[in-house]
Amino acid sequence: MSTGTVPPAGPADGRPGRVVIGTLGLDQHEVGAMAISQLLVRHGYEVIYLGRFNTPERLAAVAAQEDADIVGVSVHSWEFTAYADELLGRCRELGVGLIFGGSVLTETDRADLLARGADAVFGPYASEEGMLREIGSTVDRVRGGAVSASRRTGDPAAPPSLAGRVVIVTGAARGLGRAYALELSRQGAAVIASDVDETALKDAVADMPGSAHPVACDVTAADAPRLLLDAALRRYGQVHGLVSNAGVLRSGPILRLDDDDLRLLLDVHVTAAFRLLRVTGGYWRAEAKAGRTVDAAAVLTTSAAGLYGFRAEAAYSAAKAAVAMLTVVAADELTRYGVTVNAIAPAARTGMTEWLGGAPGGPEVDPWAAEHVAPVVAWLLGGAAREITGRVIEAGGGQISVPAAWQPGTPHSLPLLMSPAQAQTLLPQVLSEAGPPRGLLKPEHPQHPAS
Amino acid sequence: MTRPFYTPADVSGDYSAIGDPGSYPFTRGRLRGSSGWIQRELSGEGSPRRSNEQLRSLLAHGALGVDVIGDNPTMSALDPDHPMCVPAVGTTGVSLCRKQDFLELLDGIPLDRITLSHSLPPAFAIAGQYLAARDSGLDPAVLRGSAIQPPMYSQDCSYSTFLPFGIRMRLTLDSIVFSLREMPRFHAFLEDTYYISDGGLNIVEEMSLGLLEIREVCRRLLARGLPVDSFAPRIAILVNCRMDLFAEIAKIRATRRLYARMMREEFGATDPRSWSVNIAVHTSGLTLTAAQPANNIVRGAMQALAMAMAGVQGLEISTFDEPFRTPSDIAHQLAIRTQQIIEAETNVGAVQDPLGGSWYLESLTDELEGKIGDAIRRTENLGDLGALVENGYFRNIFTAAMDRHSSAVQQGELRIVGVNEHVVPLEDDQFLRDVAEERFRPDLDHIERIRAWRTERAQRPLLASLDGIRAASADSDADLLRPIVAALDADATIGEITGCLREGQGLPADPFNFAAVAR
Repeated sequence: MSTGTVPPAGPADGRPGRVVIGTLGLDQHEVGAMAISQLLVRHGYEVIYLGRFNTPERLAAVAAQEDADIVGVSVHSWEFTAYADELLGRCRELGVGLIFGGSVLTETDRADLLARGADAVFGPYASEEGMLREIGSTVDRVRGGAVSASRRTGDPAAPPSLAGRVVIVTGAARGLGRAYALELSRQGAAVIASDVDETALKDAVADMPGSAHPVACDVTAADAPRLLLDAALRRYGQVHGLVSNAGVLRSGPILRLDDDDLRLLLDVHVTAAFRLLRVTGGYWRAEAKAGRTVDAAAVLTTSAAGLYGFRAEAAYSAAKAAVAMLTVVAADELTRYGVTVNAIAPAARTGMTEWLGGAPGGPEVDPWAAEHVAPVVAWLLGGAAREITGRVIEAGGGQISVPAAWQPGTPHSLPLLMSPAQAQTLLPQVLSEAGPPRGLLKPEHPQHPAS
Repeated sequence: MTRPFYTPADVSGDYSAIGDPGSYPFTRGRLRGSSGWIQRELSGEGSPRRSNEQLRSLLAHGALGVDVIGDNPTMSALDPDHPMCVPAVGTTGVSLCRKQDFLELLDGIPLDRITLSHSLPPAFAIAGQYLAARDSGLDPAVLRGSAIQPPMYSQDCSYSTFLPFGIRMRLTLDSIVFSLREMPRFHAFLEDTYYISDGGLNIVEEMSLGLLEIREVCRRLLARGLPVDSFAPRIAILVNCRMDLFAEIAKIRATRRLYARMMREEFGATDPRSWSVNIAVHTSGLTLTAAQPANNIVRGAMQALAMAMAGVQGLEISTFDEPFRTPSDIAHQLAIRTQQIIEAETNVGAVQDPLGGSWYLESLTDELEGKIGDAIRRTENLGDLGALVENGYFRNIFTAAMDRHSSAVQQGELRIVGVNEHVVPLEDDQFLRDVAEERFRPDLDHIERIRAWRTERAQRPLLASLDGIRAASADSDADLLRPIVAALDADATIGEITGCLREGQGLPADPFNFAAVAR
């Protein structure tokens, strides 16, 4: 910066900008905070210098008390990832700008923090002129009220936002998973998108408007859940959601479905979902035990096949039924750690539902488009669904419902050491009181509009 | 200001002011044995067990010593399960908070054959190493290595332990005295000018502040009645090395001379071992760049070559991924190999002080000696150093230095390839980024381990030992090291011990209350 050009240091209204500056947690390297403070003071800013050992709460409290325009965090340690979301939330609540700067911030960090809502992010040796320009324009935006609470509670008009949440989505390259990941990204979540098809996955991620990170892997591999969790933590420092969506269809009556297909169906739908819950659940438990508030949600994928049965899809139906029950029991186990577990039974036109035929047009006219299921999944991952757990929601084809689960029937007494004659009397009676059987299964989805 | 060339007119011509290697005033260093310098690298990552594997790996690659740094909680003397610590456990160094951690860290490390340097809160490092040696059946008297003593500047330079200056100084003095008695081959007083200067101090500031701290500690040891020759040979200095290589070499030569004169003429040392200071170096992390990280390998190699020619006793290269993280495996290996190549292939170690007699270097050495000496005198004329520490005098120097450094880079006065020259767009700057930018999680399992272990401890001896810490802290004449060794031995944690040190001073045990009050 030449001495002749004085960058637009101050806000448009002429009052000096007020900036709270500090580091987070135990990040003791303070020199960056000192240097930026000196620079700002030289350019007419008022700096409230907090030095080291700050929490998001303290930075925000001082910003409120001092009527600051911006909180500036100097970063020299990865700890910032653990605090970023909370600090962003607090700054948004106050309507205060938030800027990160520091030598360890990479381009990836920059993109992520900006996607989560930071107003500016400066990496190593960022130009003074550029920093001053961005800080100045942030002050202007703050004073213009543009930086305000997007997640303010009690405002039904404000759309529920997933900003700051990190969600793992499996099977994200196409179909429902791709629609979920896109919707989550659109609502502000950072997405770890996984699929076995690396090329399609990269295309899908390229379409996502927010921060997304592709991880190509096969969910049936034993280490896949760990790989995904580690990728999420490395990339974003935390994880708030899991959408276990990867699926595969192998059709055939029992007499014809071979072991390979059976194993594949169980591995993809049941074992993979179970392992994902075990690994992410373990992480959330550790977070909870470390004294941090866990606000996590898992959405598993069952199907009408698992709830009602599809003809000639015994293995697929059994696997999906297992997922429905896994949802109920996992919800019971994980709720104590702040984790909700629900399942979606989607009905949509995807690569797995060729029987639905081609789409009549875009999602605007096609009730069977995967895009219509995605907002349900996004809602289950958001703050409004914190109390919802252990539920299965069926959605798609223009309808949404909560299917009734198995219920205990009217009990009859079971005689000790019942004789064949007693059985012959009792069982028809019990069965007839239970009402008529479910009836013959229909082939695949019963309400196929094109059939 | 550097001139285009130098001539005999630029040097005094009095060789006795320079002297032979191994002779007063030690401009040219100690006489070095055939083994060269101690090749080591900064290490420590995750749990003590994981760090132990890292130490073993470095030694397997041929490192001749190890230098261990703690993670942010450990450097702050806090336990990993403290709420402020959880996100930082193990990510920037090893997590150490109890005797068992030192045993696990040093398990199977041949402490009788290699040197162990601590970049850790020194009193705890010395106590922990002592206990680890004793419990593994090794006589602590054979231990070699060093512990950084940072009583004056740590609070302002990244390594706050939330203890008042008086206690920090007592910990320094008591741990030196303890070590002289129990670990006589160990350098219990390593003056670290690296960490204070890598925020942008210049050479004169770096060495004047370092020598000021040495002088202050020496005066206080003398005031306790220790003869200077009992402790001076156990002092070492760990200096920085930036990119102005002749200036860095001259700095080391000037420092040796200032140190020798100070010891002999001011403090009255008569043992020649007291006059010749042991100087090790850690190459500058600040000179390394996040842009084009492979360039840092070149920078490290050039700095290391210069330091080998300066005749340092120990050398650590800041690894190429230093702008991003603590060293990765491959970065460690490259740094050790760099040292090995210099040592084995270049032959620069064959002759001691090979650059001695260069008109430029001798002139620069004289000039720096004068400037550093002047800066020391100026500061000492300001009054009591402890008061200067507490008044923020040094803090202002650190602040101004970083600001000066940033401005110099912004304005292109300090030329840095890849930063203000020869910049390439990020998409063309991917080589080695995957390694450099890789991150790992805090070690939550280790936190759980510590939590579970806490409840299993025998309470009575533990509480008695902590009472001993409080009492010693409150009594300004009491020794702190014996109680600390006893408390660690009774399974007290470093966080608990520092909490009791604070309580003995009438401060709250939890440093975050203390920090809030002190600000």
